[in-house]
Amino acid sequence: MRERIRAIFLGGGGIHTALAIIIVLATAFVPEFRHPDNIVNVLNQSATLAVLAIGQTFVIAAGLIDLSVGQLMSLVAVLISDLMAGRSALALPAFCLGIAVGTSIGLVNGVLLNILRIHPLILTFGMLSVLQGITFLYTDRSIGQVSPEFLRVASGSFAGIPFSLVIVIVLASTAHGALQRTRFGWHLQAVGANEENARRAGINTRGIKLVAYGISGLSAGLAGMLLAGRLGTGYPNAGSGFELDAIVAVVLGGTSLAGGRATIPGTLAAVLILAIASNMLNLLEVPAFGQMVVKGFIVIAAILLTQRRAAAV
Amino acid sequence: MTEAKNIQATSKEEETTVKPNLRAIFVAILTVAFLALFSPGLASAEDLDISRKESYDQIQAWAKEPVDTAKFKKDPPYRVGLAAGYLSNSWILFAAQYVRYEVSLHPEVKELLVTDAGFNPAKQAADIEDLLSKNIDLLLFWPVDEKAIMPALQKAADKGVVTVNIGYNFMHHPAVTANAYVNQWEQSTEAARRLAESLGGKGRIFAMLPIAGSSAAVVQLAALKDVLKQYPNIELASVEYGDWNRAKAKQLTENLLQRFDRIDGVFSPAGQMSMGVFEAFDEAGRLDELIMSPGDEYNGWAKLVKRTGAWGGVTSGLEVAREAVKHGLAILKGEPVSNAVIVQTRYMTPEETAKLYQAGRPDDWWPAELPEAWLPK
Amino acid sequence: MKHVALDLNFGRRMLQEHAVWFVLLLLLAVAALVSSAFLRPSYLLNTLRQAAPVGITAIGVTLVMILRGVDLSVGAVISLAAVLCAVLMDGQAHNIAPAIALTCIAGAAIGLANGLLVAFNRISPFILTLGTAIIVYGLTQIQSGGTARGIVAPGFREFLNGRIGGVLPVLSLALILMALLGIFLQSTTRFGRSLYLIGSNPDAAELSGVPIRRVMVLAYTLSGFCAALGGIALLARTGVSSTYAGRGYEFDVLAAVVLGGTTFAGGRGGVGGTIAAVLVLFIAFNLVSLAGLQFPAQLLVKGAIIIVASAAYEAIKR
Repeated sequence: MRERIRAIFLGGGGIHTALAIIIVLATAFVPEFRHPDNIVNVLNQSATLAVLAIGQTFVIAAGLIDLSVGQLMSLVAVLISDLMAGRSALALPAFCLGIAVGTSIGLVNGVLLNILRIHPLILTFGMLSVLQGITFLYTDRSIGQVSPEFLRVASGSFAGIPFSLVIVIVLASTAHGALQRTRFGWHLQAVGANEENARRAGINTRGIKLVAYGISGLSAGLAGMLLAGRLGTGYPNAGSGFELDAIVAVVLGGTSLAGGRATIPGTLAAVLILAIASNMLNLLEVPAFGQMVVKGFIVIAAILLTQRRAAAV
Repeated sequence: MTEAKNIQATSKEEETTVKPNLRAIFVAILTVAFLALFSPGLASAEDLDISRKESYDQIQAWAKEPVDTAKFKKDPPYRVGLAAGYLSNSWILFAAQYVRYEVSLHPEVKELLVTDAGFNPAKQAADIEDLLSKNIDLLLFWPVDEKAIMPALQKAADKGVVTVNIGYNFMHHPAVTANAYVNQWEQSTEAARRLAESLGGKGRIFAMLPIAGSSAAVVQLAALKDVLKQYPNIELASVEYGDWNRAKAKQLTENLLQRFDRIDGVFSPAGQMSMGVFEAFDEAGRLDELIMSPGDEYNGWAKLVKRTGAWGGVTSGLEVAREAVKHGLAILKGEPVSNAVIVQTRYMTPEETAKLYQAGRPDDWWPAELPEAWLPK
Repeated sequence: MKHVALDLNFGRRMLQEHAVWFVLLLLLAVAALVSSAFLRPSYLLNTLRQAAPVGITAIGVTLVMILRGVDLSVGAVISLAAVLCAVLMDGQAHNIAPAIALTCIAGAAIGLANGLLVAFNRISPFILTLGTAIIVYGLTQIQSGGTARGIVAPGFREFLNGRIGGVLPVLSLALILMALLGIFLQSTTRFGRSLYLIGSNPDAAELSGVPIRRVMVLAYTLSGFCAALGGIALLARTGVSSTYAGRGYEFDVLAAVVLGGTTFAGGRGGVGGTIAAVLVLFIAFNLVSLAGLQFPAQLLVKGAIIIVASAAYEAIKR
């Protein structure tokens, strides 16, 4: 019986079935869910995590992991908010700063990984502490203010379509294309599947890993800017915890933690499921203290239903 | 073998054709970013500097401003939402229970919805959006961060929802309809002054403050420094951030005890952390050196004061949560009110503080006029 | 000539397998330069006491990681254990023993759940234990209702936080005893040997008839049990039983286990190395706070230490 249920889920890409189910449940049982304003809310609320998870997909598919991205998001949010101080004239330079900082630190991770050869989990965990230190040396409280453009992009819409949705779709399509249709993407997944074989086949594994971390850092920079747009300011702990949510989303979506297979649509579906679940819990007035348990059960259920019989990592 | 070479060759080609473009773009971005970093700064948006005494006169002035309640007036029944930035310490939990209790005394309120953001500002923004989807009329809140909550509050204000800020920070902004405010400056200066006097005006002290960057920490430190200006012989040797966490306060104190061979006093307005500080001194056998500032009404602190007969406390203004509900409902009914209801704090002697101790309750407890059914479980 | 070559090889192997002890000695040497207080045995015992919650938990996680698993739910279990123990004690001294016993059972039960889910579903334990952590934090939240609930019984903290004969802290002794137990388990029992076998070569283990699933379940159960003990130790040290008491511990524990020689590849390392690594981390943190650095700088140094120590460790192994 369990195998039959599993077959339904694993057949069409389990996570998409799960997403369909939760949307049906929400629409049927939660009256406020259907309201267009709420749908826009959910899309805006999930955009930040979606951008971050896209970057994390690359890293995990390469057989690595990046725990430092949450704190990197916070650092970027703080820096650009402080720079802009609400002025639109500095919006573009701030944007460039965010990209530069994110990508550079991501590349630092990659370089350190290649030179020091420590396990990525330990390296990025150490980096997380380092970034925390840097962020808090810069400021211990929320600082700066984003320009109105950032606020609009993070929470506004055009003709009913949220800007954040457009951003996510553009990034996701680019990422998907890169992973599935370019040599880089194939090589990345090959490195994730079996690094030794990939190396013997002539793939520049060190280069691939470096670029993967660069992409992770870039996505953290973009996500940090989106988050700053949502909050209007640079809060030094804003991104805390996002990295674990991103990892959960990527793995739930179908990208194997051991590396190899990568699926951007799967990641997006998982992100949406998490956002819809949070939204439902609030709209259903589930007491604040019960929400975490319910969320945990949803995650476990999703894990049990959608994970293949892969070897444990 | 040749296949491998081919892959390598073509990938190298790809890399060489792709690389310069990416590199050029990256360099361009870096250049703009560098220029941005060194651009001259203009004055930023209006910010109230809560570390300056003058700001509190400003707050008193703002508090007296009337609110245009006519535009908020609505007929009952009302739906009330409480967007808690966090529910993870006992004081705030009591405050939340006060809100629940006070709401239960008002039959014109149909429903109270409570959300918990768990110290995550993005979640608080999402919680407020969700509460708005549930069509609330009144939004009570304490922010994770006063600035980070603004975009969400603006949405509430745009929908005509009354917003009331509860707690230790005063928010003066069109999107915040009113404040229920506990004047923390008073509280902190009182504690600092009492400590300085107990020390006889000289000695080495350190400060144990809440979460770094929180308004509580900023204000307490500023108040302490302001008071210390009049006591030049008191040395503030270190500022520690114990995060309202007794264990952390203890650990930090242990480290300080190792660093300094003599510490005369500790400024710690939060009774919860004061317990940790006391324990560290006790275990190190250096209790005779210690003079502490007054704490608050934390039950564990009251127990300590009862035992030692010293140091007293300053009230923490828990009733502010009840006042917030009353104030918010008054606005909905169109009654004339001012911008803020301020709850004053006052000093309690050691005897008074000791009387607050409730023996049958955990350390992590507060004295409150809540009926048994409404106390936290 | 042969003798010399053998000696060199032996030396290198010693270095590789026990690198963390060399790092520890190096660190103590550096610390001694800063202050001779670091060399006093009372200092080391005190550090063990500070490190007891992390250390005891790390013992269980070491066992799990030897067999190539990982347990990220330990932080949540520590929180739950602290709250549960305090609530069960309810201020009565005669409740202490049953409270401790029930708390350990609860921790073991969570570990059991983890083990069963991992063993019978072959899902990545990383993700799975992340998920159970959320549930356990949620349960703790409900139990504690947001406050630090429960009343610690008189005598509980005094005893566990005190010193035997005025010298040996009880918690340090507890940590040492648990460590010895762990070493005993991993070196002499069949269970321990199975751990190493499964970790280094799961296929060979299966072929030689090792009951892989049973061993996995037992390992995770022990991990949950150790985490519960860690939570009780935390309660004893701090008297605090709040919802998020153990937050972040899982990664500190992980760092210690990996630094101690038990890598994610499994099949090697052990409890001894883990304890040494825990000491390294805590002495380093002590040094940092003694240097009077501000909090953010301490975080920076903590991260840098973890990276540098791991890198040094990797370099030594080559």
